[in-house]
Amino acid sequence: MVSRSQAVVAAAGVCALAGSFFSKGDFASSLIIWVAVNVLMTASFRFVLLIGELNFAMAGFVGIGAYAAGMATTMYKLPFALSLLLGAAAAGLISLVVGFVTLRAKGPYFLLISFAFTEVLRLIYTRMDVIGGNSGMIGIFPPAYLARFYPTLVVFITIVFLFVLYRLERSAFGKILVAIRNNDELVQTVGIDVHMTKVWCLGIASFVTGVCGALLAHANNVISPGDFSFLVAVYTLAYLKVGGESHILGAVLGAIVLTLLAQYALGFGAYEHIFYGAAIVIGVLVLPDGLYGLLQRMLPGLRRPASPGN
Amino acid sequence: MMRNFRNALLVAIGALAFGAAPGANAQETLKLGISAPMSGAAAVWGLGMEWISKQAAQSINDAGGVKVGGKTYKFEVVAYDNKYNAAEGTKVAQTLLNRDDCRYIIGGIGTAPVQAMQSLSERKGAIMFTTAWGMSIKGPKFPLTFTQINTPYEVIPPLYSYIKKHNPSIKTVAILNPNDATGKETEAVSRKIWESIGVKVLSSDWYERGTTEFQSIAAKMVGQKPDVIDLGVAPPGDSGVIFKEYKVLGWNGVKVVPAGTSAESMMKIGGDAVEGVYMGLSADFDGAQATPVQRKLNVGMKAAVGEPINVIQIGGYDAVMALKAAMEAANSVEPKAIAAVLPNIVFDTSYGKTAFGGKDSYGSAQHMLVPAIVSQVKGGKLVELERLIPEELTKRLAAAKK
Amino acid sequence: MDIYVQLLVNSLQIGAVYVLFSLGLTLIFGVMRIVNFAHGEFFSLAALLIAVAVPWLVDFGAPLPLAYGLAFVGGLCGVMILGRILYEFAFRRFQRDMIGSFVLSVGLALLMQGLFIEIFTGASRKLPTLIDGTVRILGGALTTQRLVLCVIALLVAVAMYWAIASTRLGKALRAVSEDHEAAMLQGIPYRRIAMTGFLLGTLLAAVAGALLAPVVVIGPVIGSAYLIKGFIAVVIGGLGSIPGAIIGSILIAVIESVGGYYFDPSLATIAMFVIVMVVLLVRPAGIMGNG
Repeated sequence: MVSRSQAVVAAAGVCALAGSFFSKGDFASSLIIWVAVNVLMTASFRFVLLIGELNFAMAGFVGIGAYAAGMATTMYKLPFALSLLLGAAAAGLISLVVGFVTLRAKGPYFLLISFAFTEVLRLIYTRMDVIGGNSGMIGIFPPAYLARFYPTLVVFITIVFLFVLYRLERSAFGKILVAIRNNDELVQTVGIDVHMTKVWCLGIASFVTGVCGALLAHANNVISPGDFSFLVAVYTLAYLKVGGESHILGAVLGAIVLTLLAQYALGFGAYEHIFYGAAIVIGVLVLPDGLYGLLQRMLPGLRRPASPGN
Repeated sequence: MMRNFRNALLVAIGALAFGAAPGANAQETLKLGISAPMSGAAAVWGLGMEWISKQAAQSINDAGGVKVGGKTYKFEVVAYDNKYNAAEGTKVAQTLLNRDDCRYIIGGIGTAPVQAMQSLSERKGAIMFTTAWGMSIKGPKFPLTFTQINTPYEVIPPLYSYIKKHNPSIKTVAILNPNDATGKETEAVSRKIWESIGVKVLSSDWYERGTTEFQSIAAKMVGQKPDVIDLGVAPPGDSGVIFKEYKVLGWNGVKVVPAGTSAESMMKIGGDAVEGVYMGLSADFDGAQATPVQRKLNVGMKAAVGEPINVIQIGGYDAVMALKAAMEAANSVEPKAIAAVLPNIVFDTSYGKTAFGGKDSYGSAQHMLVPAIVSQVKGGKLVELERLIPEELTKRLAAAKK
Repeated sequence: MDIYVQLLVNSLQIGAVYVLFSLGLTLIFGVMRIVNFAHGEFFSLAALLIAVAVPWLVDFGAPLPLAYGLAFVGGLCGVMILGRILYEFAFRRFQRDMIGSFVLSVGLALLMQGLFIEIFTGASRKLPTLIDGTVRILGGALTTQRLVLCVIALLVAVAMYWAIASTRLGKALRAVSEDHEAAMLQGIPYRRIAMTGFLLGTLLAAVAGALLAPVVVIGPVIGSAYLIKGFIAVVIGGLGSIPGAIIGSILIAVIESVGGYYFDPSLATIAMFVIVMVVLLVRPAGIMGNG
């Protein structure tokens, strides 16, 4: 039996796909891709928040996914699907190693470590001439037969992974993650290997993040170390704070609303900083539950009996 | 009374409708885009280029606009900050080319952001004029890209040979460049030319754009006791600081900045530490060799940005002029038609008449032939030492006169 | 030029700024348990206000030292007002919430950076030199202005250390930082002390910005680079510890100048970040900290 809210969500997904398929114009295409990738990044960032960690290393994994896929396409001339897979796999595998070492730290310490990790990666990219160093890698194009449908493909992949993350969250695995956030020592006493569970959580989220990076690389055709600074995680945090952490749809909502607003209302440059900064500040001070929380209060039908965020 | 009023109203509406209706003399506005650094150490380049391009557009619009195929077009200049890196350059490219539907880029500063823009502009069929230094930017692979200033290939050989001629005892050089495409392409040329005139390259170092503390690098370079220090493409915001550090450490050899553009910026920051610096992209736009147009622009630039013009900024003006001339010669506003016609015409720029050439060096005629100027900071002022008109230009001008 | 002495002198020059910066950061953390990512913006604002005020005052006919003096005072006041506002409306509600305050301060930093770029434009400014000349110390050279900066930083560090150790305010700050509930039980006005601590930290950032204004090229976002290094220093030295902040700052200054000399600056920065990661994993309290 499909509940009313699930039907609404499914309908929205179909509309998004149709919209991206029939959209005309380069600007609309790049906007759709940008929104979709932001949605997916926010959702994967939120996935790690389930264990209570702010994953500021995310920008680093987006970069790994982007560079790996970029190298696969431009230097080794691999088919597109394989490049995507390689990008995601590289991000996921490396995150497993990094997570194994760093997830021993918690909370603010993990935050600072992941922040440092992102910066180290970014600096390493600037020194590696084989991937273009500071000037970046150019010429990353999706195959010609996909060019017309690229936005639709991106939206499709986004929806698929959103669904995967959602099911994972509501499965037993997801419940363990939330339990770890609430009290990890208690979970340890039940016999679950808390550390490895956290590592796997990071690995899954980073796999998805790697997909985002690979998609971005082929959409922008140019990637450079500046694309993967910690600002990426900051903007994603803005999307999440404004959209609402308690439900995956909050991530979707926040990313869509802020990305579109930023584009249409304010252009970029200094205003981009002001906009995102204000969004975070307002989100934290005024809307602790985000837009989704606001919607929940206004539409009682959306209320769920046991949301993971609360 | 009401009838008079009603008649007057009808006439007014009629006049409005007539004026607003599309007709033979309809005006359209063409957007001209600029992607340049407008913040950070190189901000003066972007801010200046924006101002001077707007001057060019204004003067064309005031003179009646561009007349093509029976329609009149006005120019509008739109500039965005690319922060001298590829990430912002990509965003600027997407905004200009996708969102603003701009088909004419009249200024691109910074090889990295320009490369990011190029893949998009060539695909979308937009014509791009750039002052970026990389050799890889031009050529038959990029039929819609044109450069409007000299690059290392035209600037460095006369600069270095002049320096060697007037400082015959120099034997060693230490090079420093920003760590990106512009720096890497320039360093390769610098190295080759220094070695070819018998000056040994002791070291070649890199720094990240945005660095503020240069003491360590300065100590490292000075420690090798070079005769010459070559600061490559360091923008004036950085070179002034770096030269000051050398002076503090007590080094006083021959100073060179091939991409040196703004003597005044450097002097403001470095004080007398920049005395004697040789520069390859500077020109005295007040002096005897400057044209009246350039002198007038110079006065305006000083009022607007606080500094005299430099060669990079004036590229914006020249590109707008070239664009107008090409549009009228091709009788079309389509970028591809313009690009086809540009190599063949001789047109007016701030320097006087010039043309596009450079087929031998780059594979196709996409390089604006402007003089290569060697200058030096002497006694707190910029002094032009040598101004070379390219041979190809002399031939083209002679042919055009016939 | 004896290279070792020069490297030492370079380290001191660079370290002086980091010391002032990190003292403020660590003080705020110690007293309020908040991570203030917007600290760099206080630094930038002080420098920017001075960069705007000095030419204006000089145009008015003021002699340079007077212009600088007035601008200093003006800059410091401006930043203190900003700090007070931010404390009242933002940070006060997030005390003891490291993650929440981090997120909030990141938002504030972004917002202020954007505002500065808008208000002050992206152009770089260079102020006229206040004190001319170069000084040689045992074979190492530095400008007189930078020497003055070092001396002032040293005095401030010593003053802070003494104040924390001996004065009543210092003892209250330490008490609050160790156990704020016990401190309240002792009758220490926690709220007021917390605010004092925050403002003191802000003042230190402003002083750093003001001292650096005559020496470097000023842009709207110069605070960010120093902020990152300041954070590294504080984490390595120990969040909340004054001696830790000083040791951490000197350590990274040495890494930066020696690494920058023998290798290159970006490698030195990578090394610093790796050290941070190791310290956080192995001894999160830092060299001198106590959690």
